[in-house]
Amino acid sequence: MSKVTFALQGITVRVDAGASLLDAAIQAGILVETPCDGTGTCGKCRAKASSATGLIAGVYANDLLSDAERAAGWVLACQTKVIGDVTVEVETSVDDGLKIISDGHELAVKIRPWIRKVFQTELLTTQVYGGAKLLATEPSDTTQFGYGLSVDIGTTTLVTSLIDLANGQELASASSLNPQARQAQDVLSRIKLGSQPDGLRQLRNDLMTEINRQIGEATAAAGVIPRHIYEAVFSGNTTMLHLATGTNPASLGKYPYTPSLSGGCHLPAEIVGLAISQHGLVYLPPIMSAYVGADITSGILATALAHEGGVVLFVDIGTNGEMVLAVNGTLVATSTAAGPAFEGMNIACGMRANRGAIERVSLTERRIDVQTIGEGEPIGLCGSGLLDAVGELAATRGVDANGRFQFKDESWPWSKQWDVLDGKPIFRIAGPVYLSQKDIRQVQLAKAAVRAGIELLLKSNDLQASQVDRVLIAGSFGFHLRTESLIHLGLLPPEFENRVHFVGNTSKSGGRAFLLDYHTRDEMMSVTQGVRVLELANDPAFEKTFLRSISF
Amino acid sequence: MPETLDTLAQSLSDAVVNMDEERTRELAIAVVDLGLNPLAAIERGLVDGMNRAGKLFETEEYFIPELLLCSDAMYAGLEVLRPHLPNASEVKKHKIVIGVVEGDTHDIGKNLVKILLDAAGYEVVDLGRDIEPKRFVETAIREGARVIALSTLMTTTMDAMADVVRLLAEGNLRDRFKVIVGGGPISQAFADRIGADGYAASAPAAVKLVQRLITEPA
Repeated sequence: MSKVTFALQGITVRVDAGASLLDAAIQAGILVETPCDGTGTCGKCRAKASSATGLIAGVYANDLLSDAERAAGWVLACQTKVIGDVTVEVETSVDDGLKIISDGHELAVKIRPWIRKVFQTELLTTQVYGGAKLLATEPSDTTQFGYGLSVDIGTTTLVTSLIDLANGQELASASSLNPQARQAQDVLSRIKLGSQPDGLRQLRNDLMTEINRQIGEATAAAGVIPRHIYEAVFSGNTTMLHLATGTNPASLGKYPYTPSLSGGCHLPAEIVGLAISQHGLVYLPPIMSAYVGADITSGILATALAHEGGVVLFVDIGTNGEMVLAVNGTLVATSTAAGPAFEGMNIACGMRANRGAIERVSLTERRIDVQTIGEGEPIGLCGSGLLDAVGELAATRGVDANGRFQFKDESWPWSKQWDVLDGKPIFRIAGPVYLSQKDIRQVQLAKAAVRAGIELLLKSNDLQASQVDRVLIAGSFGFHLRTESLIHLGLLPPEFENRVHFVGNTSKSGGRAFLLDYHTRDEMMSVTQGVRVLELANDPAFEKTFLRSISF
Repeated sequence: MPETLDTLAQSLSDAVVNMDEERTRELAIAVVDLGLNPLAAIERGLVDGMNRAGKLFETEEYFIPELLLCSDAMYAGLEVLRPHLPNASEVKKHKIVIGVVEGDTHDIGKNLVKILLDAAGYEVVDLGRDIEPKRFVETAIREGARVIALSTLMTTTMDAMADVVRLLAEGNLRDRFKVIVGGGPISQAFADRIGADGYAASAPAAVKLVQRLITEPA
């Protein structure tokens, strides 16, 4: 056994000789960004060793650290083996100042909860009903204590809100990073890990432990006793609901990509492992397909998409871009793999939306104006800042239509920002933060995936972009995106200008609506059964449309 | 100025790099009309142009759409010149079996590799996508291929690559074929772990890898 001390966190763990430094960090409970899942291709899991003894640095990641960095003791944690006692510095991606959009399009919801309480005056007991079924009988009159949870299980973030079922008021909410990211960063890696019994158990336990911690936090803040919570709605993508319920997700990860859960049902909270009333229930909203999940059903509910007249497009921009097109209430949905660029991953200076992340960039009068989260010194670019920066370059022709840096054009007002790093051109934004040509390529691929999805949804209804009346953008970016940047990028067609509305976290707001009004459940069952899901993998026009959408 | 093979080949190469399909076709017709050597025009013109495009892709000047437009131009030229190749000049090419592994349907990366291998003078047998391991092996045997090239974009399907290597080993066929792997979640470490012969991070790198592996003693 070797001792690994993480100096910044003051944690020491013992690991078998030969374990990777990343394994040691995971064991220490330190959340390290590993977008490539420890394959040595992303360069995000940097660690600095105080001395070279005790570690063998891997040879695979040669291109990701410069010689100077290597000489200074920097290694990639995933490619470095521990062979003796060592002290290292690893930056944690803690959720310090993390911005998680907890607000979503608030829909006027009728208060008709599934849970009802009836006080029996002669017996002095309170009966708790879930629908018509008696769930529990409690001593004395507890009718004034009836609470529910809306749990938004995102791949990246978890948001639990505690809601008073009597009046729909949110009493408290807690948010944090999804701890499953410690084991596997992206959805596919989690499917892979969850396909093994041990992996599934671990992913599920990690998730439930964190949700239960959030419940503890929220109930403490609101002065609520957890056993007075009788129902929780789990809103999340199809993979997250599989993992939360301990359902083998293997079939989601392989063509023809089929889910093993269909949702629209209750599970006992005790079996799910949720620390609420032992008679409590967990409701899973209907799931449409492997990549159009309950979170999108919540989105359809929150935005009343099925009741909208005209042509409305709902887009949830994230690692997977899910979208639903409503044409006078008839819905077609699809999803497209955008990759992690929108979350600032696989980007040279990319980072999550933490303090110091540039979230807004504008090129004005030979100047670059940036806005950082928490007004900290700029240390990286989060998704919205990245899209702004690339959008501005595209709009001012700092990149050409093909996405190539135009660094030879000295008449370009911001030409002083061009620089060279490791022999390659870069665009300096602020402080140490820059964009590389490869970053532009990553954004091009991501935005082309979303745009191709939009084009094919429209095409399947014989519609043009100009015929879309309203565009609703949901997702982790929430209100931070700017329509003009999305249009400059070509992520959205120019016809959408002035028609875009940002609706925030509709997975959460829809989850709340499911919780408060049980009539929405039957309604959404029939709505989702009527949704046609387009599988882009089977659309012969996808490749061509995608490739065409790569340009600016 | 009279067109010579040299000037035409240079123009063909430029037309491919400039993504000019129409001009490439016109130049190829000129080669035929002047009775010039079509094989030389292919090698020193079209293939040279495609190689230059591959280099521009590697240095991040060109991106996927440009590379595909260059290949459209190359194929337009080939369509004109190929029927004029004397039969005897058909050199025996090394064969490569390529495909996206079982469970995955993302094939744009595989298509890029196929185009560049094609341009580099290999005969590419493209199985398509969602291909089960034994089809790679059977096809490689039937076609007498030297290389099996496996692609995937999905973490969930990358283990199917190991299945191909294992099937070869079980059939005592491992030494007959070079197995190369690539795609988003793949790395050199993964290639080493499953016992593949090589990994390439990009399409042009895949061509170099094949060239190196094929010249290596078996």
